[in-house]
Amino acid sequence: MADAPISLWHEFKKGLWQDIPPFRLVLGTCPTLAVTNSVENGIAMGLATLFVLLCSNVIISAVRKQIAGQVRIAAYVVIIALVVTVADMFLAAMFPPISKALGPYVPLIVVNCIILGRAEAFAQKNPVLPSVFDALGIGIGFVMSLATMGVIRELLGFGSIFNFKILSEAIFEPWIVMILPAGAFMVFGGLVALVNFISHRRSSGIIS
Amino acid sequence: MNTVLKMFLNLVIIGSVSGVVLAVAFHYADPMIQANKEKELKEAIFVVLPDAKEYRALEKTVGSDKIVVYQGVGANNAPVGVAFKADGGGFQGNIGVMVGLELDYLKLRGIKILDQVETPGLGNRIAEPKFEEQFKGVEIAPRIEYIKNRKPEKPNQIQSITGATISSDAVVKNINNAIGKVIKAFPKEELLVVAPGQTDKPKATH
Amino acid sequence: MQTDSAQGLGTDRLIVASSPHLLTTDNIPRIMHSVITALIPAMAVSVYFFGLRALLLLVVCLGASLLTEWGFQRIRSKPITVYDGSAAITGILLGLTLPPGFSIFGAILGSVFAVGIGKQLFGGLGFNIFNPALLGRAFLMATYPVMMTTWETPRTFTKAVDAVSAATPLALMKFEHKFAPAMDLFVGNVSGSLGETSAIAIIIGGLYLRYKGYVNWKLPLGYLGSMAVFSGIFWLIDPVKYPSPLFHILAGGAMLAAWFMVTDMVTSPVTALGQWIFVISAGIIAVVIRLWGGLPEGVMYSILLMNALVPLINKYTRPTVFGAGRNQGGA
Repeated sequence: MADAPISLWHEFKKGLWQDIPPFRLVLGTCPTLAVTNSVENGIAMGLATLFVLLCSNVIISAVRKQIAGQVRIAAYVVIIALVVTVADMFLAAMFPPISKALGPYVPLIVVNCIILGRAEAFAQKNPVLPSVFDALGIGIGFVMSLATMGVIRELLGFGSIFNFKILSEAIFEPWIVMILPAGAFMVFGGLVALVNFISHRRSSGIIS
Repeated sequence: MNTVLKMFLNLVIIGSVSGVVLAVAFHYADPMIQANKEKELKEAIFVVLPDAKEYRALEKTVGSDKIVVYQGVGANNAPVGVAFKADGGGFQGNIGVMVGLELDYLKLRGIKILDQVETPGLGNRIAEPKFEEQFKGVEIAPRIEYIKNRKPEKPNQIQSITGATISSDAVVKNINNAIGKVIKAFPKEELLVVAPGQTDKPKATH
Repeated sequence: MQTDSAQGLGTDRLIVASSPHLLTTDNIPRIMHSVITALIPAMAVSVYFFGLRALLLLVVCLGASLLTEWGFQRIRSKPITVYDGSAAITGILLGLTLPPGFSIFGAILGSVFAVGIGKQLFGGLGFNIFNPALLGRAFLMATYPVMMTTWETPRTFTKAVDAVSAATPLALMKFEHKFAPAMDLFVGNVSGSLGETSAIAIIIGGLYLRYKGYVNWKLPLGYLGSMAVFSGIFWLIDPVKYPSPLFHILAGGAMLAAWFMVTDMVTSPVTALGQWIFVISAGIIAVVIRLWGGLPEGVMYSILLMNALVPLINKYTRPTVFGAGRNQGGA
């Protein structure tokens, strides 16, 4: 806790680039591929995941000393499932169109590796405050990733961003493939390559 | 405290606390979720039966099928038509259609596509008004048919979407199937009187 | 001799990757010249039936493919092999599989995808899993489904019976249950992709390649034969419901694919047994898609699907051939 400011900032920052979930850790790829056909869906999914990650990290970190090691995974899954179910009901109650668009992918956050991964790798070993920053960093990194995928796919697939028409059909015929699963894989592959390329450049620059 | 007991208590406590939290959340969320669903249903019914002011849900079980129809009731408290949902497979997944039928069982009042996951830009054009409008006034006997690339010639025909014959075909097939079931389950006469009881008045009266 | 043992050299895979340089430098321009010559009848017929628009599309595809190849090799600091002709043939083949009214931008996009993603991203010639031209076409099919299935009527001097309708023979078969006359299919007097309509033009090109010895007879014959036999079974069962085998091998992309795409060296198996498995399965898949699938045409996906299985086929057919001795003449 002594060197809190620096390390907290570090916990936050690592999720934004160095450990950005889908592109560097290749975690949470299911929603990354499935619900990013528009920016709106991507961000909604990202925020739902961020919320779940934050809650689960806080709860797990808070009770970490009380949980018996042998049943910790079972306990984490129950906690995560609880948070996810609440989030799912909240979306269905307050934002029915988004809930409909995301479909089964909100309940599927339960099995999103990012959540359990952070619980196991971070929250169970660290106090609440760093866990909050860890969740925020990873979660915001996830939102950014999904939004980036959404921007590319919606722009090319519908010619719009946030349902706002940017490329008129007269000059640009939308690439339907970008809305389809195949397009998701292409964009994902391209972004993984790009992120790795930039990181490689950076790290080799630092070393030499 | 031995380990087994600790493990046991851990899970019991987490489980029960989660249960309580969920129950509370459900208590607040469920009415809203139900209201949303009902609103969606109601909107769809009023689109296919525009002169209905309210509706009654009627239910019958034929064999293993549960058939639900919504009798639209107009301003002077007379039935104006019957609506029901037609589900069935499309090109990629389920297509759900709300169908509005005249009470004489001769023509369609209109349709609205509720759920579909057809190919964007091709099959999903079944949800465009241009396609849906075609079903207004289409005769249902002997069955609704589609033709390609031409204007419909007979009163029981609609024109399929170019390049999306399979999706168009699925919509027509679903509607025909559902009409068949509904006509069998509900004889005309039953729907000519306003159904008693369970007046599904719009809940948003407050 | 070298070319004969390297089976199915007659397509866009012209550099035999493993060969020493002194051999390839001598062979490549000659072979590729022959393949392009073999494609000339198909190109000429497409221009005859669909006008200058067809020529424009072919030139655009050719140019875009060459530029992409050059660009990628430039970026990756690899030797520039634009002149080996493989990219040129990918471009021409892609162009020949496009509908006549296709947009120029779409054609460029498809070519860039075919050569860039389909070939160079895998490591260039010899390393690609899928036939680049077909991959480009599949991408365009998913990207512009409407444009890819909008057809034009060929400009015919003598208007044949049913060729006036803009639907392709396969679409007519699938959705309206009409079978185009075999003669129209043979000549190419039907709507369809630029170079796929005229069977005779493709056969002339194919026979020329065979005469030159650049085509392994197993592949085209196996593919068409498998389609004919499999569809023939159903035709014999119910000739009213199912079209004849002749219709199947003449309609759509079957003929072009048989001579110029299944014969792709890189993306077809190396052993004789493997090649039989490859072409027979592909033929059956094509007919299955045509008769029961959601799409009217199945040739493209049949080959792409089997392309994906080639490494597996190679793995399981190799020991037999090694055991049988040198794979000089094949089966």
